[in-house]
Order: sequence, then C-alpha cells, then structure tokens
Amino acid sequence: MANLTNIDRRWIFLAVFISVLVPLLVGFHLPVKASPNVRAIYTSIDALDAKAGDTVLMSFDFGPSTLTELQPMAKAVLRHCFRKKLKVVGVTLLPEGVGIAETILSDVAAEFGATYGEDYIFLGYKAGNEVLILNMGEELRAAFSTDVRGTPLDDLTVTRPLRSLGDMAYVLDISAGYPGVEEWIQYGQERYRFKLGAGCTAVMAPDFFPFLQSGQLDGLLGGLAGAAEYETLIGQPDAAVSGMRPQSVGHVVIILFILFGNVAYFASRRGGGS
Amino acid sequence: MPFLQRTLPLILAFVAGIVGILTFYIPAASGIETEGATWYRIIFAFSMILGIHSLLSMHWRRIRRRQAGWGYSAVTWFGFLAMFIFGVWNNSHGPGAPIDLQGGGMVWLYDHIQVPAGATMFSLLAFFIASAAYRTFRARTPEAAILLVAAVVVMLGRVPIGVYLSEHVPTLSQWLMATPNMAARRGILIGVTLGAIATSLRIIFGIERAYLGEESEDV
Repeated sequence: MANLTNIDRRWIFLAVFISVLVPLLVGFHLPVKASPNVRAIYTSIDALDAKAGDTVLMSFDFGPSTLTELQPMAKAVLRHCFRKKLKVVGVTLLPEGVGIAETILSDVAAEFGATYGEDYIFLGYKAGNEVLILNMGEELRAAFSTDVRGTPLDDLTVTRPLRSLGDMAYVLDISAGYPGVEEWIQYGQERYRFKLGAGCTAVMAPDFFPFLQSGQLDGLLGGLAGAAEYETLIGQPDAAVSGMRPQSVGHVVIILFILFGNVAYFASRRGGGS
Repeated sequence: MPFLQRTLPLILAFVAGIVGILTFYIPAASGIETEGATWYRIIFAFSMILGIHSLLSMHWRRIRRRQAGWGYSAVTWFGFLAMFIFGVWNNSHGPGAPIDLQGGGMVWLYDHIQVPAGATMFSLLAFFIASAAYRTFRARTPEAAILLVAAVVVMLGRVPIGVYLSEHVPTLSQWLMATPNMAARRGILIGVTLGAIATSLRIIFGIERAYLGEESEDV
C-alpha cells in the first residue's frame, strides 16, 4: 500500500497524455454554459453601437507560452466586434505580443472582410508598461504617433477621432501576467474611467474577483473555459469549445489521481497503525 | 564622487517621487505627468539594453570558461544574434523603417520556433501539476480536507463536465471564487498595497537605499 502512495510520476504523465490525446481524437459534445462574468463582457460589447462610432481597444498582453489559452478568447471577442462592425484598435504592452496580435487581428479580419485602417488598426508595442497606459490615457498620440506600419494616426479612419483612452467605448485586456490587468485597472480604468473587461489564464482568474466585485472590471474571461463560454455566446464554437473535451477529461483524471492518492494514504495509515 | 554616487541619486529619487505624487492630485499638472511618463519610457527602453548586455555577458563568461551547460549559453547567443540580425534586416527594409510583420526571417523565426517552443514549455506544466497534485493533495488535517474539497469542486466547475454532473457544481464553484476566495484576495491586496506605499515612501525619502547598494537607514 505504501507503493500506491508514491506511484512513479511517469505513469501519471502517461495517464495525463492519454486523457488529453483521446478526447482530441474522439469527438463528443459537452454543454458549455456561460458564466455571469463572461456574459457581462458579451452583453457590454453587444450593447455597443457601430453607427455611433464606438471603438474597442484590445490589448494583447501575452506571449507564446500562453498563446493556446488566450488566443481563442481574443479571436472570439474580435469576431463579436467585427460582426457588429465595431472599430477595433489593437495594442500590446509586451514585445513578444506584437507578432501574435498582428496574426490574430489579420486572421479574424480576413474572416469578416474587415479592412485595415478603416475597420481596425494595430498600434504595436512601445516600451513603458504601465506608464504607456498613462501616456495613452492622457494623449494617445503621445504614446503612439503612428501605427505599427508607420502611418500617422490622423491618417487612419479608426484613430482619427480618438484622442485618449477615455474615447474608447470598451477596453479589453488579455494578459498572462505583468504588465496586465492590474496595471490597466490602476493606471487606466481608475484614472480615465473607461469600461474595462479582462481575459487571463485560468490560474490568474481568482486574483481578479475583488476587482469584479468592486466594479473596476466589467467582466472576466478565465482561461480556455472562459473562451469556450464566449464562443458559445457568439454562436461560433471553435478551438476553445473543442479544447473543453481534453480539459474536462484531464481534470477528471487529475481528480481521480488525487482521490486515489488519499484512499491509498488513509489505507496505509490504517495498515501501519494496526 | 560621493555626490554622484549617493547624494544625486537620492535627490533624483526624491524629486521624481514627489512630482509623481503631486501630479496625480493636481489635474492642472497633467502636462508635466505626460512629459515625465515619456521620459520614463525612454529610460525604460535604455534599461532593456542594460538587461540584454547583462544577460549576454553572463552567457559569454560561461562559454569562455567552458562551465557546465556552456552549450546552452552558446544556443542563447546564437538565438539572440539570429533574431537581432533578421530584426535589423527587417525583410530588406532596414532598421529605420516600421517593422515588417507580413514576412521575413524574423517573422518566420518567431512563428516557427519561438511560438511553438514557448507553448511547449508551458504545456509541460500540466504533467507536473498532475504529479504534484497527486502527491500533495492529501487530507492530513481538516484544513487540508477543506482545501481538497474546494479544489475538486472548482476543478469540476470550470469545465463543462461539471455541468454534466450537476447544475449545482458550477454554481458552487462560482460562489467559492466570488466569496471566500475574493475575501482572502482582497485582504492580501490591501496588505500588499499598504506595504508598497510604505516602501515607496521609504525610497522617496531616502530611508531605503538598497538600489544604491547601501544598507537602509535606521529610523
């Protein structure tokens, strides 16, 4: 029984591998129900008015390591924005986020026939982290005089009427750490009072519940599950909904290992006691 | 020299800190804040150069001395030089032009090496988390048992299989996150923030001098 409390971890690795691989290969349906935090972002973006020129700022503050978890939520929200013909401004506070943001924006824009400059633009990256947010909040052109392609902001239909973060109808920050959601709250939302939603990895989501309760965050997309909920809300299931199958089975396998470990632990204690 | 090494940095820290605080509370001084923020971003960009120099120097020393693992340091140098050269080449547009994200060597290296490598590294965590959870989530005490039950409920509540098992699982998971977790996080946030305020004031007033390589002044 003592051996069962200390299984070689390679067996655990193998079990996790199989639990992730098999659901990827075998299709089955699992119901995805949107949580209130995800629905809040959806409702807010759905209420925006393209005719009034409402613009959404999306900050892609993540790198390759969290791409698999955060890219689906970025794509889902972008699809929602482009479907509603909202203008989108992309930015990133991380140098490694530039390529990712450019790819996501151009891929989703191509799905909807959105035109760069008219329907969306990408500001790119500038150094400064939270101070860049301050600059953007005071005067957008103090932070970015041109977009990532070198075009002055006044020459672009999307950014011509925008002066600062306060002119954004909605800001969504998708981040995996620092700089990220807390910086956008402290240096952006609290100073310039725009509506801020957040997307983050599942492990970070519990950290932001105080900001949800205080109203500083409008809503929260937590990990791949949050992305799957948003894909369900927009009626376009994609990578996140597909990812729920292996994630569900993986979670069940881990729980079974935990329960098994506890059963073995208590059995060995009883056996050792007698 | 003591003036440049000690007194001037203390004066700069004091002035910058006080100006930063005052511009926050004086709306008419927003122009000074914007200008100061721009200066900070320029210094931040230069500090990245210092960081790169420090990293490359450390790895160069490892290569020169053939220390254990020096091969990885050589890979680091090679990767940096490859990205740097392609970045400066900028798909034949040169460093003066806006970055070309539509193609070129740097984009290829990023899409086909950096992104898969970064995603793979993070993916390995799933296996180690499973192994660690199996070994450490033992209900040895009542508190550990509560933690275990809460972890199982949240793990099931965050995936669709929780809804499949019971409608109450996601509701309970949401309650755990929105009430006890939120309360604990709020306490931690307030504590950390108060500590950050205290530390910042100590730095502004020159009591905390670790950034100069000195011991703090006893107050």
